[in-house]
Amino acid sequence: MLDRHKPLWGKPPQLKKSYDAVIIGGGLHGLATAYFLARHHGMQNIAILEKRYIGFGGAGRNTAIVRANQRTQANVPLYKEALDLWPVLTKELDYNLMFFNCGNLNLLHSEAAVSAARMAIASAQFQGVESHLIDAKTCKEMMPALNIAEDITYPIFGAMYHPPGGIVRHDAVVWGLAKGAAKYGCHIHQQTEVTGINVENGKVVSVDTDRGTLNTPRVLLSAGGYSAAISYHMLGIKLPISVLNIQAMVTQPLKPILNHVISSGAYHAYANQTLKGEIATGAHMDAWPNYTTQTTAYYIRHQAQAITEMLPCLKGVKFMRHWSGLADMTPDMAPIMDGNNLIEGYFMNCGWGYFGFKSCTATGKYMAQFMATGECPDILKPFHLGRYAQHRLMGETAALVTYTADN
Amino acid sequence: MALTLTCPVCGKRNGYEFRYGGEDKGPKPDGFGLTPDAWCEYVHMNRCVAGIQKEWWCHKDGCGVWFTTHRDTLKNLEVEASS
Repeated sequence: MLDRHKPLWGKPPQLKKSYDAVIIGGGLHGLATAYFLARHHGMQNIAILEKRYIGFGGAGRNTAIVRANQRTQANVPLYKEALDLWPVLTKELDYNLMFFNCGNLNLLHSEAAVSAARMAIASAQFQGVESHLIDAKTCKEMMPALNIAEDITYPIFGAMYHPPGGIVRHDAVVWGLAKGAAKYGCHIHQQTEVTGINVENGKVVSVDTDRGTLNTPRVLLSAGGYSAAISYHMLGIKLPISVLNIQAMVTQPLKPILNHVISSGAYHAYANQTLKGEIATGAHMDAWPNYTTQTTAYYIRHQAQAITEMLPCLKGVKFMRHWSGLADMTPDMAPIMDGNNLIEGYFMNCGWGYFGFKSCTATGKYMAQFMATGECPDILKPFHLGRYAQHRLMGETAALVTYTADN
Repeated sequence: MALTLTCPVCGKRNGYEFRYGGEDKGPKPDGFGLTPDAWCEYVHMNRCVAGIQKEWWCHKDGCGVWFTTHRDTLKNLEVEASS
């Protein structure tokens, strides 16, 4: 009976002896890169190797929020393009990604936060991204459930309102991109673990898996939270990454009350209402590395306190599910996208922290261009690994809500 | 299954009382003749071990002492150094 439900990406393909490109990690970045390699660059002999199942990692664990109001001039254009691609991909993939363009309200709880927001808004507007500063009264008009009283822990001074953002159904993106990549002939090999990357004379030659060796001149490491460990274990390349667990949870489904995504740096919490009616909330990270994806009662309490102060009407609402995912955090809260410099044919796309979901479409597009042409597109150049040794870290830690491994 | 750590002064305590201080990377490199790459390696680069690693912790909400211990990053549990 199970056979009747063939996956959108077809039956499991036969593992070939050689591929033009091998992508490690069947998450959103890997699938998007494969899709764009095949669609834009005519490279269809591609293997996506996934140890578990596609969307097992961050792709299926994020809280589905998309936005383009990052802090620095290098980051904003990338996220803007990612945001602009959702409606395009929905059509191209012929698959409903359920982009809900509800806008984001980033709550500000001090004069200092308002000043920081002015900077972020100026950066966004300079890059052509819509973003405004609004006061607390306007917040209340836009979202009547919000508590703007002055006697809460962090009273609301105003918000940074970013209308182009919203939420996207994250599983649908995994399925849609897998469908699209498979349509162009890419091989998605699930339950296939990479055990080694072989380099000869400074060039990538093959990838070892638990199902055999695949010859290939190009490898993309795009394994999300597992990338840094793979990089060090298989190639001895250390990365400036700490792998932390970020937790999230959803409540029981409710009638529509949250018509925007809200986030708060002071409360360390964000919330959105999914199209099913659940309030999805998250933000807490245990600030030490581990790969467990375990959840903690400590966080349920924190989240309940934070969310019910901002949205008192949620008191008594029950949490239904609680999960955790890996976030590979860099010191400057910006990703590492590099290739062809340490080893010819070796590309990396990692260090996304908790921004991997909202960036996957644009990253896939440009990493595909990088891999197909061998030339790094201008938009990706600031994200090279060498910036850490040059002490040219990006300023994303100045964004309104951030965590670092050592804060 | 929350993390518990053994402070050399206070004994076993809840992990949330502590601040993680990074992987143990040995002594700070000598400043004379230090290259940007070597400094970057010491300051930023991590092994991200999936298994047991030696690491720094500070008993932030306790006695304030800095110490090293071993922890299994796959289980999020403190382990004996020899295991």
